[in-house]
Amino acid sequence: MTNAKFEAPPKGGFSFDLCKRNEMLLNKGLKAPGFLKTGTTIVGLIFQDGVILGADTRATEGPIVADKNCEKIHYMAPNIYCCGAGTAADTEAVTDMVSSQLKLHRYHTGRESRVVTSLTLLKTHLFRYQGYVSAALVLGGVDITGPHLHTIYPHGSTDTLPFATMGSGSLAAMSVFESKFREGLSKEEGIKLVCEAISSGIFNDLGSGSNVDVCVITKGNVEYLRNHVEPNPRTYTSAKGCTFTKPTEVLSTKVSLREKKAEVNEGGDAMEE
Amino acid sequence: MSIFEYNGSALVAMVGKNCFAIGSDRRLGVQLQTIATDFQRIFQIHDHLFIGLSGLGTDAQTLYQRLVFRHKLYQLREERDMKPETFANLVSAILYEKRFGPYFCQPVIAGLGDDNKPFICTMDSIGAKELAKDFVVAGTASESLYGACESMYKPDMEPEELFETVSQALQASLDRDCLSGWGGHVYLV
Amino acid sequence: MDKNLDFNGPHSMGTTIVGVTYKDGVILGADSRTSTGVYVANRASDKITQLTDNVYVCRSGSAADSQIVSDYVRYFLHQHTIQLGQPATVKVAANLVRLLAYNNKDMLQTGMIVGGWDKYEGGKIYGIPLGGTVIEQPFAIGGSGSSYLYGFFDQAWKEGMTKDEAEDLVKKAVSLAIARDGASGGVVRTVVINKDGATRNFYPGDQLPLWHEELMPQNSLLDIWGAAASPEPMTTE
Repeated sequence: MTNAKFEAPPKGGFSFDLCKRNEMLLNKGLKAPGFLKTGTTIVGLIFQDGVILGADTRATEGPIVADKNCEKIHYMAPNIYCCGAGTAADTEAVTDMVSSQLKLHRYHTGRESRVVTSLTLLKTHLFRYQGYVSAALVLGGVDITGPHLHTIYPHGSTDTLPFATMGSGSLAAMSVFESKFREGLSKEEGIKLVCEAISSGIFNDLGSGSNVDVCVITKGNVEYLRNHVEPNPRTYTSAKGCTFTKPTEVLSTKVSLREKKAEVNEGGDAMEE
Repeated sequence: MSIFEYNGSALVAMVGKNCFAIGSDRRLGVQLQTIATDFQRIFQIHDHLFIGLSGLGTDAQTLYQRLVFRHKLYQLREERDMKPETFANLVSAILYEKRFGPYFCQPVIAGLGDDNKPFICTMDSIGAKELAKDFVVAGTASESLYGACESMYKPDMEPEELFETVSQALQASLDRDCLSGWGGHVYLV
Repeated sequence: MDKNLDFNGPHSMGTTIVGVTYKDGVILGADSRTSTGVYVANRASDKITQLTDNVYVCRSGSAADSQIVSDYVRYFLHQHTIQLGQPATVKVAANLVRLLAYNNKDMLQTGMIVGGWDKYEGGKIYGIPLGGTVIEQPFAIGGSGSSYLYGFFDQAWKEGMTKDEAEDLVKKAVSLAIARDGASGGVVRTVVINKDGATRNFYPGDQLPLWHEELMPQNSLLDIWGAAASPEPMTTE
């Protein structure tokens, strides 16, 4: 072939190459696949010296629990974190992308990132894709202008609130916040209330489950409390494990040795010209 | 019928003590009709990094070729092999690029990182990473594999025991899935 | 699944927004409910957005669309103010909103009311409904709640009202619509704009006038049960 194209690695952006083929497959009666979702409970609130974010740790794929202990509180900047609900790949990709833009912006300006900057970057991206990038986010952080908490919906609309919930468990969590939230909570009270809201999502919403992750952001400090509460420990493991009566019938075995790692001459001779 | 179920597949990777095992079935079907009984779903990227690609066979092969291409470019530029974590990020980026017209492929990645620390991970077809400490599964037999692995797995297994556990889990699950079968391959590293 | 419970659906502001002119300027008013289907996603939202020091806009329709439009217009007006070296006029602001709403009318689901004060024309209200028309009006109403208000405004709006008369009218209008329109609710927010600048006001539910057979706002259902001397109220813990 004379005009064979050399495929260089893409520089970014989506590729729609397979859309036509996939549509053809769909028309032939094959069903499109479901994606990994985080049918989720995520929450956030503002307390007396900052913001507390909370999330459950269940990832689902249809009715299957695909991951029992996943991380839904994503890093955006040293002073900003973001909880994600919706399609897992989208929340992961959109937060990673904005977090790298923020880092470049910090190098450029030499100043701490602001929460509104990440808010604008997130909402413009989500608005551009008109809700097809399905990420529902709770964004929280403390910057030079104080603590901020925002919710961002897949279509790109945003709200600014003192307490916020998102995901399939948002109703359960919101009912806890609506009855118990007040202004000026202490750190301990705040963490307790966040845990209570997430737990109500875990127990009342089938899309949420497992453990509670909490992230406390104050001026100049972040505490990421991974698995802060574990209300669903595994109780049914046998210490003995499994025994197999008949070993697997091995038809053929091939052993190949791993290559030894190349020796690196540490601090070798200086290069000369 | 879902496109994932068109060819049928079963994949599992499990972590042991300084080792890992990754296993797959050997069947390639077109819906219920078996086409081949020695289909390759697990591919070796380098000495201690493997990727299993479940789902649509054609996409698995295309994706594998693109991954090998990208890994070779990396080797040329960096004069070293990719770390499993790096490779997982690469796979995720390649899959997410096709967010709105995906490869119908669910990958399972298993490798040894620095100090022979095992790393396993799986993704959905648009690159949502799921890192696990114990085991990961994919394919049409994933439901039964979840069950089998969940009950058979225990932490810090030695290579021989790990092999036996993965093989038994794989065989048990293949027997309960009509779209995968015809024995399996297990790689123990 | 019930379509009304689709949380991934776009957020829309089933809204009541009003803007009236009075003797010295304009007053804008809005309720504070943002909903997805039947779920109130935000009960204290702010639908009156600042564009410049002297121009504000009331947003209705899709939350995402109206936010992006007002963000762009605010950005353009800031640029315009710097280039001109003096505050932008209300007419310019309304025209920018119109331009975006008209050029992208296939993609946007939003109706807006632009209101403000400038030294050339004084207080002005511009209504920009769905297709991107711009209409200069003595008063404008918009959102789902506006259907309950047309007759009321035809009767109650008078030329040359004082500030207090006009603000009472706005408050009355929004609370009337909140009472009848299920998609409007929460509190009433107003902005008064005249030559001295803009003043924001906020009226929580218990400070609003009551209408036909309306009940007093209650902080908790327990208060109602308690007042009726019902059995022991339920408590948590």
